[in-house]
Amino acid sequence: MYRPVRKIVIVGGGTAGWLTAGIVASHYNMGSEIGPDYKESGSERLEIVLVESPDVATIGVGEGTWPSMRTTLQQMGISETDFIQQCDVSLKQGSRFDNWVTGASDYYYHPFSLPQGFGETNLVRHWQRVRDKVSFADAVCQQGQLCDRGLAAKQISTPEYAFNVNYGYHLDAGKFATFLQRHCIEKLGVKHLLDHVTGVSSRPNGDIDAVETKLSGPINGDLFIDCTGFAAILIGQHYDVPFRSVSDVLYNDTALAMQVPYNNENDPIASHTLATAQSAGWIWNIGLPTRRGIGHVYSSRYISDENAERELRDYVEPIVGRRQAEELSLRKIPIKPGYRAEFWHRNCVAVGLSAGFVEPLEASALVLVEYSAKMIAQQLPENRDLMSITAKRFNAKFSYHWAQIIDFLKLHYLLNQQHDDAYWQANRNKESVPESLQDAVMLWRHRPPWVEDAPLIDELFSSASFQYVLYGMGFVTKESPISQRNAIVAEAKINRLFSDNLNKTTQLLNAQPSNRELINKINEFGLQKI
Amino acid sequence: MDTNMTNYVLLSDSKHAKLKVITTRSADYGDNVKYAMTFPFEFRNIQSCYPIFFQKDPETGSFFPLALFGFDNSENLFLSDAGWEAPYVPIMIRRQPFLIGFQQDADDPEAKNAVVSIDMDNPRISETDGEPLFLEHGGSSEFLQKATANLELIHQAHEHSQRFIEALIEHDLLESFTLNIELDDQSSNQLLGFYTINEDSVQQLGAESLASLNAQGFLQPIFMVLASHSSIRTLIELKNKKLES
Repeated sequence: MYRPVRKIVIVGGGTAGWLTAGIVASHYNMGSEIGPDYKESGSERLEIVLVESPDVATIGVGEGTWPSMRTTLQQMGISETDFIQQCDVSLKQGSRFDNWVTGASDYYYHPFSLPQGFGETNLVRHWQRVRDKVSFADAVCQQGQLCDRGLAAKQISTPEYAFNVNYGYHLDAGKFATFLQRHCIEKLGVKHLLDHVTGVSSRPNGDIDAVETKLSGPINGDLFIDCTGFAAILIGQHYDVPFRSVSDVLYNDTALAMQVPYNNENDPIASHTLATAQSAGWIWNIGLPTRRGIGHVYSSRYISDENAERELRDYVEPIVGRRQAEELSLRKIPIKPGYRAEFWHRNCVAVGLSAGFVEPLEASALVLVEYSAKMIAQQLPENRDLMSITAKRFNAKFSYHWAQIIDFLKLHYLLNQQHDDAYWQANRNKESVPESLQDAVMLWRHRPPWVEDAPLIDELFSSASFQYVLYGMGFVTKESPISQRNAIVAEAKINRLFSDNLNKTTQLLNAQPSNRELINKINEFGLQKI
Repeated sequence: MDTNMTNYVLLSDSKHAKLKVITTRSADYGDNVKYAMTFPFEFRNIQSCYPIFFQKDPETGSFFPLALFGFDNSENLFLSDAGWEAPYVPIMIRRQPFLIGFQQDADDPEAKNAVVSIDMDNPRISETDGEPLFLEHGGSSEFLQKATANLELIHQAHEHSQRFIEALIEHDLLESFTLNIELDDQSSNQLLGFYTINEDSVQQLGAESLASLNAQGFLQPIFMVLASHSSIRTLIELKNKKLES
């Protein structure tokens, strides 16, 4: 039977639910009275309903975004000033990894900017000649130096969403969900229903016909998006789509999170996420304007909760003092690393934690929501028959994305040279490394990661990311003659790229305000749209 | 736009009884500026002499309109040995060396009184030359009364100007632009970092927007800004003349 896709029901109202609603609704210009809606296909407008239980707490982690969030918010018609002012936002330029290599005061950056001249010239081989003198990140990009000094990615006169150096955000996930909700309802025409989902009713073919609610009865729809978090009410509880665990690759299974206040309201805000290795995991430290989010992600196989808490409180002590470090309350979050065998099953697609979860080492949670919602929006099937094709493609693409994320996260552990802790040794164990990553590392020993490695045009992690982590961790590529001949570039050009980076760095170090100063100014004056 | 070399003090008839202000226009007195802030109320006079553009205040990122006098830093093409050679001098230039400030009223905490400050480090200040500020037997001179009136005008104009800018932004009329100017000596000069009103966007405004802009008194200054673009030619001619000499 021909069934057009006209009504989308999103179940769950955390950041995943509202981001998805906003991305799809703005893609179809639903907020506009005269906008190009679904009339072309000879039917009524597209309709989006978000059903949210009034008393299910959202998980509220995922405080770091990628630069992609700038485009996402801009396309939703959101003012960056409003967003920054209302969601406790600071600007993030990347991540810094402390003690991941030897555990003895080593650190490296994975910044958001691509290396200088990336796309035309691979600077790795040229940097390797001077690797004893300068870190890879500092040789090819400005952001490590900016982050070292807590400087901002833009100035108050830089227009909304534009930058001096690439940036994403640190934000308060709870405030962000509320902010998105208001925007979706008021500006984008998304309908909001506060009600308990009590069950699912099916069509004879196994599709979901409606979600049953306590007060409003059945909510019918053509496509159901499961944004119900770990509960995975539709994809898990209803369809029982298998979950592929990757706990044999990524060992961390628990997180302890706390909110740590600043001593003074004008204390510096870090321009990066700080990830510091511990004996059996790592601690994140994310600076928002009004507080820090700090948490310990660890493997309960290698450390007890008690000792993990000890390490966390010890980490916090130099920041806020002993007494407060002992008193701050903790929240324990279980992590089941892995993802669904299928994300899009029949007329139901899982977005967010219901689709899968890995530790927040590279802040991949929200970007996956953005990518998923964008693909749903752009490839929204016209009718139910076509949906099966879209689903197949969606599943293939996101299975690939998840596998790549897991490879990339594992790379951070694989290259460690720590000897004392069983956890770090076990992380080097070959059996724990996916074959795809083993292959890649083998290749990278003979030629550096490069653009052509990528099978997709919309890779989550480009070869630049792999370069930053590999060479940040001291990896050595011994290029074969064939690889060297592959890329003969004029020496003058190489020198120009390196000196361009040096000049830009000097310029920015002199010109940029601190991250704190910038946020204060945005709160006072706002950013201009142009 | 005040340089760091300022030293504003509250003007007082007792302390400053003998002060005079030199009104000559010259680089010696700080008139060698590339541009000055301007306000919609004087756009009609400004546009007949100078191009009006917009710039962002680096401290706040907010826009303000300006009258352009030259292409290089400290270049005022209207300034010569004979003084400022243009029929109209912007009010922000004429206000020197005074500044308006506000003090809380001693009796009424709600009320604020306008007070006049003077920049004691301004080269215009003298005890021998120029216009006296106070009369011999007390009371403000006509010169000071006029200066004070100008300051009040500036104060009101600031607020109006801000609303004008907000309206321009709301209607998407501002755009950044780069002006490439080739001079007679074949050198090319670039004007960077300025914004202007997009004429096409103005022409596409609907009746409702036009009526609303007009009701707020913003329509006329918009067209004054557009008209001012022809004064770029004046600047280029002056610059070419300067190159010849």
